[in-house]
Amino acid sequence: MKNIQGVYKVAGLTRVNDIYYRLALEAPELARLVKPGQFIHIKVSAGLEPLFRRPFSVYRAVGGKVEIFFEPVGKGSRLLAGCKKGDLLDVLGPLGRPFSLPSRDVRQVVFIAGGVGVAPFMLFSDQIVKHKAAKVLLYGGRSKAHTFPLNEFKKNAVKAFVATDDGSAGVPGRVSELFGRIDIAPTTFIYACGPRPMLAAVAAFAREKGLKGEASMEEVMACGLGACLGCSIPTSQGYQTVCHDGPVFDLQDLVFP
Amino acid sequence: MKIAINIGTAVFPNPVTVASGTFGHAEEFYGQEEVKKLGALVPKTVTLNAQQGNPPKRICETPAGMINAIGIENPGIDRFIDVKLPRLKAAGVPLIISISAHSEDDFVLMVEKLNEAGGLSAIELNLSCPNLQKKELVAQSAEATSGVVRRVKNVSHYPVIAKLSPNVTDITAIALAAEEAGADGLSMVNTFMAMAIDIRKRRSRIGNFTGGLSGPAIRPIAVRMVCETAARVKIPIIGMGGITNADDALEFLIAGASMVAVGTYNFVDPRAPLTVLEGIKAYMRAHRMTDIRELIGSIER
Repeated sequence: MKNIQGVYKVAGLTRVNDIYYRLALEAPELARLVKPGQFIHIKVSAGLEPLFRRPFSVYRAVGGKVEIFFEPVGKGSRLLAGCKKGDLLDVLGPLGRPFSLPSRDVRQVVFIAGGVGVAPFMLFSDQIVKHKAAKVLLYGGRSKAHTFPLNEFKKNAVKAFVATDDGSAGVPGRVSELFGRIDIAPTTFIYACGPRPMLAAVAAFAREKGLKGEASMEEVMACGLGACLGCSIPTSQGYQTVCHDGPVFDLQDLVFP
Repeated sequence: MKIAINIGTAVFPNPVTVASGTFGHAEEFYGQEEVKKLGALVPKTVTLNAQQGNPPKRICETPAGMINAIGIENPGIDRFIDVKLPRLKAAGVPLIISISAHSEDDFVLMVEKLNEAGGLSAIELNLSCPNLQKKELVAQSAEATSGVVRRVKNVSHYPVIAKLSPNVTDITAIALAAEEAGADGLSMVNTFMAMAIDIRKRRSRIGNFTGGLSGPAIRPIAVRMVCETAARVKIPIIGMGGITNADDALEFLIAGASMVAVGTYNFVDPRAPLTVLEGIKAYMRAHRMTDIRELIGSIER
């Protein structure tokens, strides 16, 4: 198989806070290949329960390690949260269409993330440290506990703004409360990842203001390879698979029924 | 070791293939040499006209299985022949092309187009399509199954394999009707009609409301159906339903299937068909078998 299936050793599992975990895999080849917005498809069980692999966007890829960032909410992610250092995991990846890198004339890069959707933007900000554009992260979460420690982003010169549903951190309300931080200019480029209502709000805002951007979509996935057509979503080009045509789509192509 | 299998005039180098709709993009994740190890390639079902498929959610995971209602998303037969078929032919593996249609005439029309395209090993009829003016599927009626198979056999340059639905009272009756109408082989089984409910939203977890259950959960039923059918028909059977490894595949072969197909498990491990083939060979060696026919239907009755 063309470098996309591998068995990797768990290099570490860290509990970030009450909500989130980070899991690192010893996977130098994967770390070298992965692009921001791509995902890895992890077989979380040796048996048949759960049956499908689980997709995770890559959070970081340094020192030959690939890290994911997750909240154990379902059968699959809860199993991962029980992993131990040294465990072996069967992984397909890197898979899917990545975010496009900002072109040289982009002057403001806007990351918009909801909850665990912040994951791909850490890797992204690592990879565009040298880009001259101003970088901002507009980050929404349910409460203070759901907001990820943002100092790593600060190290990458990303200015972070936070909104929480209950107002326990940053501005009270949805991430759309932070849209005022976006420069309304053709030199602005938006990258979004998070729950669907948030992406719908981002797409509507971008359309209204004539801004360009991309969003990473989520859907229940089986194969992760574009074979089963199970994760198709409606787009302006007809049904497209989240796993293979996406997960990153141009904002203007997304259809929110 | 003899492991080649004949279905009608078609010869397959080994008994392991893939179930239709479970093995797209083969050329992208298999190396060229790896694809050639498959006994046959069966791409996703093609229909006369393009179909866009069903709205999401198209799949959901169930205990040791999945429910799907993809809706046979495909580009239609003409575009399939122009764009996809040349790439599939280039893989150098025997091709079994799965087709479905809304009428006998449409089946015939598609087969004529495939006759002209050339380069196939066999045609598989996906008969889990509506039987016009009736509530049932073609595969749920011996008469309708017989009708389609007979019409297709009249025109097809290739051996014809009828894919049977398990959603029937007596699958052997449908199998016998297909055989009597001239089918060269049977594929069994397709998915089981099923549903799963999101209790929080009190909604079906499938956009199409119901779907087809596949995966290891259905395997024992599929094995039983293959075993019953193999005892009554003379034509070869491609057995499928929840195969994940060689042991699973061996159950089907011992029950009487001549070939086996990995379906849903391709979504978990795209290499599974190759592992299955290696395991079957290892089993034959361990049991000092030199011909796969010693294995097929060897169940003690």
